[in-house]
Amino acid sequence: MNPSPLISLSHVSKSFSGAGGVFTALADVSLTIDRGQFAVVVGQSGSGKSTLLGLLAGIDRPSEGEVLVGGTAVHQLPERAMSAWRGRAVGIVFQFFQLLPTLTAVENVMLPMDFCDAWPAAERRPRAMALLERLGVADQAVKLPSTLSGGQQQRVAIARALANQPAVLLADEPTGNLDSRTSESIFELFAKLVEEGQTVVMVTHERGAMRYASQSITLADGRVVA
Amino acid sequence: MDGSLLRPRWRKVLRDLWLHKARTFLVVLAIAIGIAGAGSVLDTWALLRRVTRDEFSGTNPASATIRTDAIDSALLAAVRAHPAVGEVAARRTVVGAVQARGSWRTAMLFATNDLSAVTIGKVQTEAGTWPPADGAIAIEKSSVDFAGVALGQSVTLQIGEAEPRALEVVGIARDAGLAPGWMEHIVYAFVTPATLAMLGAPSDLNQLQFTVRDRSLEWEAVRRIAYEVKALVERTGRRVADVDVPEPGAHIHAGQINSLLLAKGAFGLLALLLSGFLVVNLISAMLTGQVREIGVMKALGARSGQLAAMYLALALLLGFVACLVALPVAALVGRAYAGFIAEILNFDTTGFSIPTWAFALQVAVGLLLPVAAASIPVIRGCRIPVSEALRDFGIAGQDHESDTGWLSRLGGVTRPLLLSLRNAFRKRQRMALTLITLAMGGAVYLGSLNLRTSIQRSVSYLFGDILRYDISIRLTRPMAPDSIERAIQGVAGVGAVEGWSSTRTAVSHADSTLGNAFPLVGQPAGSKLVAFPLVEGRWLTEGSRRDIVVSDRMLKEEPQLRLGSAVTLIVSGRPTIWTIVGVARTGVQPGAYTTRAALAEALGNGSVALVTVRAADRDPSSHGALSRRIRGELEAKGVEIASSQLMEESRSVLEDHLLTVAQTLTVMSQLMILVGGLGLASTMSLAVLERTREIGVMRAIGARHGAIHTMVQAEGLVIALASWLVALPLSVPMSVLVGKAFGRVMLPVPTHIVPGGGGVLQWLLVVVGVSVVASAWPAIRATRVPVARALSYE
Repeated sequence: MNPSPLISLSHVSKSFSGAGGVFTALADVSLTIDRGQFAVVVGQSGSGKSTLLGLLAGIDRPSEGEVLVGGTAVHQLPERAMSAWRGRAVGIVFQFFQLLPTLTAVENVMLPMDFCDAWPAAERRPRAMALLERLGVADQAVKLPSTLSGGQQQRVAIARALANQPAVLLADEPTGNLDSRTSESIFELFAKLVEEGQTVVMVTHERGAMRYASQSITLADGRVVA
Repeated sequence: MDGSLLRPRWRKVLRDLWLHKARTFLVVLAIAIGIAGAGSVLDTWALLRRVTRDEFSGTNPASATIRTDAIDSALLAAVRAHPAVGEVAARRTVVGAVQARGSWRTAMLFATNDLSAVTIGKVQTEAGTWPPADGAIAIEKSSVDFAGVALGQSVTLQIGEAEPRALEVVGIARDAGLAPGWMEHIVYAFVTPATLAMLGAPSDLNQLQFTVRDRSLEWEAVRRIAYEVKALVERTGRRVADVDVPEPGAHIHAGQINSLLLAKGAFGLLALLLSGFLVVNLISAMLTGQVREIGVMKALGARSGQLAAMYLALALLLGFVACLVALPVAALVGRAYAGFIAEILNFDTTGFSIPTWAFALQVAVGLLLPVAAASIPVIRGCRIPVSEALRDFGIAGQDHESDTGWLSRLGGVTRPLLLSLRNAFRKRQRMALTLITLAMGGAVYLGSLNLRTSIQRSVSYLFGDILRYDISIRLTRPMAPDSIERAIQGVAGVGAVEGWSSTRTAVSHADSTLGNAFPLVGQPAGSKLVAFPLVEGRWLTEGSRRDIVVSDRMLKEEPQLRLGSAVTLIVSGRPTIWTIVGVARTGVQPGAYTTRAALAEALGNGSVALVTVRAADRDPSSHGALSRRIRGELEAKGVEIASSQLMEESRSVLEDHLLTVAQTLTVMSQLMILVGGLGLASTMSLAVLERTREIGVMRAIGARHGAIHTMVQAEGLVIALASWLVALPLSVPMSVLVGKAFGRVMLPVPTHIVPGGGGVLQWLLVVVGVSVVASAWPAIRATRVPVARALSYE
């Protein structure tokens, strides 16, 4: 018997209403991603990549269909429970890093543990330092984000995403703001995390990322085309 | 700020505050001003309440005073034996004249057998020796300036027809139970009965004072005891002239103090409310700038409740810091203001502290105000869906809340000015709160100017239209009115003269008890020297017999009295029946008026002791000389004058004190305008911050520093001018409110509600000045942002 997939989308559609009328970002998307996969979602701008990631993170809700992550019906979670679930079940890496500017690198990493009470208070700092060490930016721990390079900021952001040991790491264009060399190192880092058992779903424009992927999903006009 | 003991989220709160120092400073300042404004009034009130209650009760005030004949130790013992009576004392009060600053003033001398052992109405020694020895005098503190004497000097006193005698002022004492001498125009002093005898006054004691054992009794119950004591006194064969029962435990000015401070407290609360508006604006802007961070934190697992707690804790912290600043300021101002009012009311705040509950209340309000003000924007901000928060374009992207298309249709407006106008209306809620804050300050400012005008007009009305005489002369010996009027009429410069008679009387009730004593004044039927405004009924006419006009205050003290009703007054110990034909507004003291002829008939004596004189020359500077000529003429004719008073002096004393009260209102309005100015400064700072990118674009396409500067200043000016305009109609109800409150506290003033041209112009200058200052720093900052940074600003 095959183990059940970590992520399962079934007939998911997402539409937005705006001044220009109703816009369908995703249309009848069904897919599964197994545990330990490095799933790379590619497609052109407006193809629905980020919307898909938003649905997996519980940031958005589908207009139709079901979204299951680690056995949790994300589309049915009430808003109050959503934050707590998101904090523990998924780690999010943003294109613009989104580190809180008034917190140091290590404090940024400790923040999700603080919100979710996932670790005893005394263990949070050592754990955050260990994550920064793992990502090669431990020497930047007490610096504010504004003093770090783009690559360093993204490594801190990845460490933050891993803080609560999430089942899945969701990365939305994580290299969109980085040069090609740094981008490459980030892809390698994700691949290494996958080797260690982490499931990663990454949205990207960069075709080069495909060589690290164990599963690729191509979207066009809101539909899975490959 | 290491903060290693703090969780990261609290470190973020602290560092956000530190990062936005200017904004933090503005919020703290706004809350501090509000708390300091309201807190100073609260501190004043709490301190005065404590001082008046403790100091007044410390004097052991009489529960009742009975005027009767020679009081001896046997009578005192008999009264003391009454089961409801606590302490008993006897004294004599003699009215005479004291020569001070070259003119004679009314003196009230208190004498008792042993001044060193006064048990009721205790006095405190302020300077010199106490008690005064025989042949010496101690002046009551509140009369010292009015008397124009100092410790160690001599004053000349005259009682009745006796020879004037010089007495040395050996002490200054304070009787907190007396209304201030300067206010009453009376020199209060303390002497021994032997000194009274030396002055030619009767020295036997005629005022029986006592306290009730149970100090918690209501006025009615005390009054019943007083009438039992009165009956006891009458059973000894003595005649009782009147019985006076004051409101138990209440100082004579307690009502005025409360009304005054309540009115001020209302404005203090308004200032607090307005500072709350400013906090709403600033916290809203702070949250708007943090929408994306809120989204990120939610994406990291933060719940709305956790985020709300963070931002509300931030507001609480701001309130705490504001309290640290505001409480000492409020205490300092409150103590100074309480000292000022206490001085006016003859109290001393030295040795008294502001009660702890007043501080506790200020801390509670100081902490809760920012939390309450922040709660709506915080809850709204923290409820934003994560997706929306993460899509946030930054604060500049949210201008859709206001439709300003109508501004484009305005003709004859240049493009930069149109931009400023449009900018001013972009954030309607923020603009409205800023505008209301400034406009409220302006309305109170205009209200205070109107009150000032009302006071000046009222005093002019009182001393011109109501009291139409310029000099009042009190005679040592009452004289026939015709002869004294003839004598004064012959003096060059005299326009009109009227002799007025008076007696003390009291209302006789159906249950044979007497009301509190009040003066009944007899005037010529068609008096040309006084014209009190009638509330109802008519004034006295030539044929009036046993008609009286009572003061409206009288109806409050004797609520059973009505226009047209018959009232029994005790005149010279005999009951006499009068008809109330009119009710007039005559001031804060109860009193009644009848014709001189009617009072002469009731008294069996038509002589007058008070003469009022109207000068032919209306220039007040000539009235002093006229007064001296009249004194010379009367002395030449052998008429002895007890005291004389120039109404111009009374007028200026009254006006000065009333204007002092109005001045505090002006200060309150300035405080509110300051809060409004801070609001405008913060609004303009936020506007510049939000439009950094826009400003960068304008500069990139050629806008010079001057143009950017002018645009920001013009935007501030648009809000300021709008608030100027809004304040004008708002000042009308404000003036009514202020006028009515003032009337209840001090003197009923005809409310001046429409702001005068001068006031409107003054307010315009103030608001333009505030706008220029408030917009100056934001305008400078707008011109200093480098184009590259402005365009990259997120």
